[in-house]
Amino acid sequence: MIARLYRPFVMSLVLLSPIACASSEPTSAEQNAAVPLGVDLGGSGPVLASAQPQAPAEAMLVSAQAAAPQHSGEMQMAHAGQNDAHGTGTVNSVDPTQHKINLSHQPIPEIGWPAMTMEFPVAPSIDLKGIKPGTRVNFTIEQGQGGMYEIKAIAPAGGGR
Amino acid sequence: MKAFAPPLALTRRRFMQGAVAAGALSFAPRSLRTALAAPAPVLSGTEFQLEIGAVPVTINGRQTTATGVNGQVPAPILRWREGDTLTLAVTNRLSEPSSIHWHGVRTPSAMDGVPGLSFSGIAPGETFVYHFPVHQSGTYWYHSHSMFQEQTGLYGAIVIEPKGGYAQAFDRDYVVLLSDWSFEPPERIVSNLKFQSDYYNYGQRTLGTFLDDAQRKGLADTVADRLEWGKMRMSPTDILDVSGATYTYLINGHGPGANWTALFRPGERVRLRFINGSSMSIFDVRIDGLPMTVVQADGNDVAPVTVDEFRISVAETYDVLVRPTADRAYTISAQAEDRTGYARGTLAPRPSMAAAIPPMDPRPMRTMADMGMGSMQQGSMPGMSHGPMQGMATDHGSMSAMSSMEASPEAKKLQGSVGVDNLAMVPTERLQSAGEGFPPGRRVLSYVDLRALKPGSDPRPPSHEITLHLTGNMERFIWGFDGKKFSEAGPIELKRGDRVRFVLINDTMMEHPIHLHGLWSELDNGHGEFRPYKHTINVKPGERLSYLVTADEPGRWAFHCHLLYHMETGMFREVHVA
Amino acid sequence: MSTARVLTLIAAFAAFATSSAAQTPVTDGETASMPRTKTGSDVQPVMDQAIFAHVLFNEFEGRWNGSNSEFRWDGQGWVGTDYDRLWIKSEGTLQGNGTLEDGQQQFLYDRAITTYFDLQGGLRSDIDSRPTRNWAAFGIQGLAPYFFDLEVTGFVSGEGHLAAKLEASYDLLITQRLILQPQLELNVYSKADPARLVGAGFSDIDTGLRLRYEFNRKFAPYLGVVYEGRFGQTANFARQAGESTGDFRFVFGIRAWF
Repeated sequence: MIARLYRPFVMSLVLLSPIACASSEPTSAEQNAAVPLGVDLGGSGPVLASAQPQAPAEAMLVSAQAAAPQHSGEMQMAHAGQNDAHGTGTVNSVDPTQHKINLSHQPIPEIGWPAMTMEFPVAPSIDLKGIKPGTRVNFTIEQGQGGMYEIKAIAPAGGGR
Repeated sequence: MKAFAPPLALTRRRFMQGAVAAGALSFAPRSLRTALAAPAPVLSGTEFQLEIGAVPVTINGRQTTATGVNGQVPAPILRWREGDTLTLAVTNRLSEPSSIHWHGVRTPSAMDGVPGLSFSGIAPGETFVYHFPVHQSGTYWYHSHSMFQEQTGLYGAIVIEPKGGYAQAFDRDYVVLLSDWSFEPPERIVSNLKFQSDYYNYGQRTLGTFLDDAQRKGLADTVADRLEWGKMRMSPTDILDVSGATYTYLINGHGPGANWTALFRPGERVRLRFINGSSMSIFDVRIDGLPMTVVQADGNDVAPVTVDEFRISVAETYDVLVRPTADRAYTISAQAEDRTGYARGTLAPRPSMAAAIPPMDPRPMRTMADMGMGSMQQGSMPGMSHGPMQGMATDHGSMSAMSSMEASPEAKKLQGSVGVDNLAMVPTERLQSAGEGFPPGRRVLSYVDLRALKPGSDPRPPSHEITLHLTGNMERFIWGFDGKKFSEAGPIELKRGDRVRFVLINDTMMEHPIHLHGLWSELDNGHGEFRPYKHTINVKPGERLSYLVTADEPGRWAFHCHLLYHMETGMFREVHVA
Repeated sequence: MSTARVLTLIAAFAAFATSSAAQTPVTDGETASMPRTKTGSDVQPVMDQAIFAHVLFNEFEGRWNGSNSEFRWDGQGWVGTDYDRLWIKSEGTLQGNGTLEDGQQQFLYDRAITTYFDLQGGLRSDIDSRPTRNWAAFGIQGLAPYFFDLEVTGFVSGEGHLAAKLEASYDLLITQRLILQPQLELNVYSKADPARLVGAGFSDIDTGLRLRYEFNRKFAPYLGVVYEGRFGQTANFARQAGESTGDFRFVFGIRAWF
């Protein structure tokens, strides 16, 4: 009896959803806001030989910088610095002539930054050809002279679009 | 932030549009939407501000008020890193006390979030600062442990990144938080059940089913069957106490019509972190056309096992990997065990795609084995079922009892008491059974399929056993352990460092997901030292199972059935580690 | 009582019952009032001693036999915890001429003693158009095997007279919402009470078959037939008073609870 009821129930929901979509903002090909989309937490990054066992809550050695962001693919690095901060964001635009990237990034607690959109100079040794607008990236920034933060390492995260 | 966050190009212009839209949204009239408010964003780092408050939401077009965190239902996804020390300031903006418990996360007992055991709760207007180190990784969740706030929306996911990296590679990662929503206030649901325990059961036996059965099995058999159940004053149609008659089943806060979608590119490996954050609903999850490889259970790595479907009980988590190769949409369906409804989402290469929703499976029925009469029809004796049972310690006392249909002496004392309506005379060991209600030919996960990737960290055998009967009186809607409610019993005492075996015997005909706070439950499922570490163990009706616990963290720990209305009507104990 | 008045009464009750049964976001004193959580060591992790309250009207109906009509109610209400409750039972029949008959009201303390049965004790007052009588009441109530609802109560009056009442009913599900309920009430008295037209021995029976449709669990209109019978000495008294000794009536009413 319940089985007979759920089909009309589903049909009514299917009929309702266009009404729901109709009231949302006009959509472009890329901005389909009517259907709720899951938040992609990103890829796994390089896989190690073994995973950690679950240990009882004894004191465990906590590595000083366990902040490795998830990344897949190769990571381009200029050099590993002492003032590194790591972040995740989406590339808005790439300026090959000035060797700069504009991106919108998540909060970076290491340096107390909230989520922002800003432009970063990129270390000269990094090849910008593989970085396309719209790519989700993990990056490392370092504060240089004059207080400006420069991207020292950048790699696609989770295969973006 | 924008109401919906597509993982697409977020140019500055669109970002600004989104910010304006989000601001405007708060003043906009409630448009007809088939979902709750915006999906929870992700909060990461080591410092968190969480504000608990009343949140107006719209579900299936109907407005109501839910209990949310930071204005959202479900609460935001918390993204932690193994090894970090966290500070979480939780402010209560409700007019009643609240709390947050980090389910499956091992913390000092003062940080566990259970009012009355860990602390006195978070009073209205108060801020409580949780502070603890994280020594584990995986998928977990958090929820209120006060009254029925877990039912009205206070639940969210926790994702803890592993320090040493993942055991399997994947390209995309989605939280799939399943829950149940009712427009009835939870206090009324309990009150209804107290008056009429089958209030929400619209799948009962009727004259119609009697005639159907008589036609199939013959009149004499059918009459005998009805008399057998009638004599016990039980109904085999009792699957879930609260059903789709009042529940809308949600996936990440969205009803089945909203078509919550997880995007992928064909060929990618997608990790789906399934969490059952419901109050009373056991879900059977499958993705039609796509097998799933289970890689973690309750946050812990297991040897990958590929299945078509799994049953996820309340508070459990399963991380699965899928690899959709076709350029098409797949339906993620989570049917309630009693088939009165389902949660539904889509796995698709592009938004606004949908696949056919498979019809629901037939409704399961309870059997005499569920009543604790043993699995007579299979001809197998308890303990001798197939599956890797070597290395399993057996309780010889209860094994000998199976030869006669008599309850054990300790259980017999409970017979006829107000809190007990049934005793399992011959509880069966049936971890290898996935449960009832699955069509033949489908690979369904069972507990014996869970084999930890690494051996357990405490190799000691248990020094003693603690046996607990899961009991209840369905008619009066009273639930407890050993026939007693929480208020009628004292704590279970353990000494710090103890290695103990818990034996659970389910004298009731319902599943109970039993959750021990603070300590791992290592399920005896035949894999010896590779037994899985779980925080919530679903005990089937009439089942007997056991698990090992190392009492390595002192404090007062909650131990309870995670079916919210069972817990609140008595199925709760304190486990005190001194 | 005229048919119109009976129907108005039922309609008014239906309106009240539907509004109570309707889903509103706020729960009032109708149901669980959990003990308030206190700060400090009094805070409990779960409130399993909650107090619940319910009211059930099993019969709330007009009865017609072709020549006259009457209105009958039979309801119960209780408040308390899983173990201890205060229980009220009320029944009565309002005749067409305005007299109230069979008005039995019980005020009981109820204690859960076994899985399915409660022990009850207290006071019964016969309050209607006839002389009032008071009794001490003692009995059991619960669910018997094969799902029969059962109430068996014994009474002792101040003068040492004894009485007993048996009530039983069964719910047969035709469909999930269409339910056929046979029901029976039987009264026995040790001594005659002419002023109340009650004789010694088996006194009267009120039995019926009611078919209800549950729009929701809490609101179910029904149709049915009942038989009101009187035996032995009670029948004699009835005949003397010009009343019938056996009456079939058609009923229409609402079964409601909240």
